Amino acid sequence: MARAQRAQLVSIVILATAICAAAEVRKEFRFTVRPRAAISITNQYGPISVRPSIGSQVIVVAILHSDKVEIDHDQNGNRVDILSHLLSETTAETGRVDYEVMVPADASVTLRSTTGLLRAEGLHGDVILEGSQANVEVHDISNAHVHVKTLNGLVTLSNIRNGHVEITSVGGNVVLNSVSGPHVQVNSTSGKIRYDGDFGNGGEYYLASHTGDIEASAPSDASIDVTARSVRGKVENDFPLEPKHTPFAVKAGSAFAGTMNKAASSVRLFSFSGKIHLKKR
Amino acid sequence: MNCTEFQEILSEFFEGGSNDEQKAHLQACPICSGLVADLDLIAREARQLQEFNEPSPRVWNSIEIALRREGLIRERQRGPSLVPPVTRRWHLAWLVPVATVVLITFGILVYQRGPREPQSVAQAPAAVSAPVANLQTSKAPLNVNNEDQQLLEAVGSRSPAVQAQYASNLQNVNAYIRDAEASAQADPNDEEAQQVVMDAYEQRATVYEMALDRSLP
Repeated sequence: MARAQRAQLVSIVILATAICAAAEVRKEFRFTVRPRAAISITNQYGPISVRPSIGSQVIVVAILHSDKVEIDHDQNGNRVDILSHLLSETTAETGRVDYEVMVPADASVTLRSTTGLLRAEGLHGDVILEGSQANVEVHDISNAHVHVKTLNGLVTLSNIRNGHVEITSVGGNVVLNSVSGPHVQVNSTSGKIRYDGDFGNGGEYYLASHTGDIEASAPSDASIDVTARSVRGKVENDFPLEPKHTPFAVKAGSAFAGTMNKAASSVRLFSFSGKIHLKKR
Repeated sequence: MNCTEFQEILSEFFEGGSNDEQKAHLQACPICSGLVADLDLIAREARQLQEFNEPSPRVWNSIEIALRREGLIRERQRGPSLVPPVTRRWHLAWLVPVATVVLITFGILVYQRGPREPQSVAQAPAAVSAPVANLQTSKAPLNVNNEDQQLLEAVGSRSPAVQAQYASNLQNVNAYIRDAEASAQADPNDEEAQQVVMDAYEQRATVYEMALDRSLP
């Protein structure tokens, strides 16, 4: 009797798996592009992951979770556009498409999604990522612009070298690990901002949040000219800074300013009610 | 006398009644003297307008001949032609000062309404308020309720589940804008505070951009 029940259970599981597998459709598209191609992918529901390819091929693998969504693809010259085309009465489940994309490392990439994870890694072309609820991960990017816009998604950038980084996050937290560049700017309304790196050698870093805390960790040999202010929150500093002139009145506990080593990079930290902490690593 | 008082008596001024105080203000104030010069020009142009628009007698004769040829005028009228007699034309001369007064009044009204125009434009609901670091403009209360309400309705009609998130985000960014503007007003020389005003408006623009993006739900 027990064996019969177990056999029934296994049959149901196999059947359910088969139904799910049958509903999913895998599609693959290949495009040949020239150097510095522009790749754009818009996917309402589901993740997009982009990695570097070898050669001049753009390879798009899409897993469609139902027949309520189609893939529109178009190549015009050196520009490739991919769009998840939702058909009528589509939900977040039935409209979901999972993208795995490989592009030449010098391609510039624009990814947009509402809910799915947006991920780009190993590129040295410009990366633009936008999503309202989507989490964003960017790794191992060099000599490129990295622009991120999100409402509530978590933004994680790591190992970005010589980057021109601009992050606008309304409510999502932002984490930067080993991010350096001529320009690094993060602006948030309520998200927390955490920076862990050495602030490079000659860049401008501006981290601002209305109510979110800002925590920046740097080694003791960091070369920075730092200004930190929180209108209603507290500020803390672990470094022995050389005092410097500021255009505003420095109030102990709510602002500090000074230089360290050769002051090669400018660092500005600003919040209204968040706590700011410049930590020694 | 200030500009407002002077502009209130503009009509009387053009009718010839001006006292020393008004004349002194006119000499001292480039705005009011410019206004008077403009209105004076309008009045002169209006007088010439009547002369330009009056067709010559030859035109009237040509029309009469054409109408007779077509048979539309069968019986000769008492007057020799359709040309209005000189006396009748003089009767219309009263229109010239009337038109002048109307034009001057119109000019005054337009001038006085001038500064209010941008306010009504700023209240247009479809547009996102532009980033404004200017402290003078930031004194006006931020009219966000209608705009935000419309945005939330648009979001709710497409995706009711995320409407609450947008409402919360809008509330937060509006608080950000209020704080940023207050901070910038407290110290107009603080460049960073001015930058933060821009940052706050950028946040609001991002919320609108995401909400109105038609390619995403």
